[in-house]
Amino acid sequence: MSIRARSFLYHLVVEILLILLALVIVVPLLLMFLGSFMNSVEVMQFRIQLPEKWQFSNYLTVFEKGGLGRAFLNGIVITVISCLVNIVTSSAAAFILARRESKLSNFLYLFFFMGLIAPMSTITTIRVVQWFGFYGSITSVVFVYAALNTAFSIFLYTGFVKSLPKALDEAAFIEGANIFQVYLKIVTPLLLPVNATVAIMVFMGVWNDISIPLYFLPDSSKWTMPLSVYNFYGMYSREWNLIFADLVLTSLPVIILYVFAQRFIVSGMTAGAMKG
Amino acid sequence: MHKSKSMYPYYLVLPALLVYFIFFAFPALIGFYYSFTDWRLDRTTIQFIGWANFERIFSDKILLLAIKNTLIFAVVTVIGKNVLGLLLALGLNMKLKTRNLLRAIYFTPSILSILVISIVFTPILRTEGMLNGLFEWLGFESLAQAWLTNPSIVIWTISAVAIWQGAGFQMTIYLAGLQGISKEYYEAAKIDGASGWRSFWNITLPLLLPALNINLMLTLIGGLKVFSEVYVLTGGGPGNASQVVGTIILRAFGEGNWGLGTAVNTLLFVCVAIIAVPLIIFMRRKEVAE
Repeated sequence: MSIRARSFLYHLVVEILLILLALVIVVPLLLMFLGSFMNSVEVMQFRIQLPEKWQFSNYLTVFEKGGLGRAFLNGIVITVISCLVNIVTSSAAAFILARRESKLSNFLYLFFFMGLIAPMSTITTIRVVQWFGFYGSITSVVFVYAALNTAFSIFLYTGFVKSLPKALDEAAFIEGANIFQVYLKIVTPLLLPVNATVAIMVFMGVWNDISIPLYFLPDSSKWTMPLSVYNFYGMYSREWNLIFADLVLTSLPVIILYVFAQRFIVSGMTAGAMKG
Repeated sequence: MHKSKSMYPYYLVLPALLVYFIFFAFPALIGFYYSFTDWRLDRTTIQFIGWANFERIFSDKILLLAIKNTLIFAVVTVIGKNVLGLLLALGLNMKLKTRNLLRAIYFTPSILSILVISIVFTPILRTEGMLNGLFEWLGFESLAQAWLTNPSIVIWTISAVAIWQGAGFQMTIYLAGLQGISKEYYEAAKIDGASGWRSFWNITLPLLLPALNINLMLTLIGGLKVFSEVYVLTGGGPGNASQVVGTIILRAFGEGNWGLGTAVNTLLFVCVAIIAVPLIIFMRRKEVAE
């Protein structure tokens, strides 16, 4: 057999194996997607098959029964504001930390870096939030998420700012610009792709999370989508078509984000990873 | 020197520092103190009680089991996610017709909520569920298991679900690492008559070291912090067979045992630090050496 034919065969075998293995990923996801359109009897067979009749009304039912509209809004508010707080504070801090090369800036960078490793101390964080008097509020959750993501964002931004030539800011300083003008007009435009990456990573992390609302939001009217879904799952554990519809709805925002912003996700992950 | 200092004022670091300090670092610090107290929901005063919480952790069977389960989960998922992730990346770095589609498929689970994945897997893993049905259909009845209700395998099942979800994320990082390796190395190796296996050991693996390091760190730290998978799939059950540190903390919190819960958290912190800090220092040295 020629080298060419052998290489062709090798590629073919690998491709077939990978396609077969991909079924292991696809089947559970299809089970959820197809099941979300079935009626409550059909779905209990838990088989991969097309619904006899596509029951789009499941999605409406879920919205009415599960109070998902509220949870969706909570999720959007919490996610968007914590993203914004995180981006503004982290990029400003990283800009300074990357430009200064002193003992203090190194120390601060390491201090932030610790946040990538240390597990969150949940119970004492609740204590601190109680001291401030806003335990149970959406505001507290926003700050907790912003804090939890600070380490990762500063890490990404610092790596990126270091790759920008310092001469850029120096030229502006010489022309009389102040630090805010340099930060807003020179650095921020260059940081746009990193901003997109941070926004998406934080969005996905916050949107998908259940642990923080579980601890910090005793009042279920403030819950985000996944936790509401969990509650719904407990209440309607026999109506799997509705549970599946609920899960699809919860996943939709991150899937849409992924489809449109794929390159930022991959570039962010790999930039963070490779510079580490 | 003096000039550059005044140009980049530290007050721009302050907002991030405040948020991070108040809502992350400070609670972690006072956590060390509260670990040594009898802080409870029903007490108005808090007393220092020395090592009592830690003595209780190490004499309580359930708490010890939770620590053991956390370690099993961390080790199994580190190995599973990285081996699978690397194999997938090697395969999908080849010129295959369907590679973009396959990459997207393998990555998809890692953007979904752990909650979604865990709920979807519940009907699959039940004793009369899809997986056992599949084994029966294929004629491997003996492989069928009570995946989520057999105390001796439940933590392994949960680990497997986590690998299913996470391997694609590791794959993406390995892929980026592979794409950064110049083809010339392989061509040179080929001319020298090196086998595929040898060029993997001598070229691919060493150049993949940064990706390998970061993936090991991410999976290890993530593994030790495990919570949501267990919470949704089994709630720590059956009995307490699949409790992990994360679910124990929630339980202690719910019972009002705040001092004890914080002590468990402190223990986790110390474990993560003992494992992660030397790894990071080692990685930094390696990079400087390069």
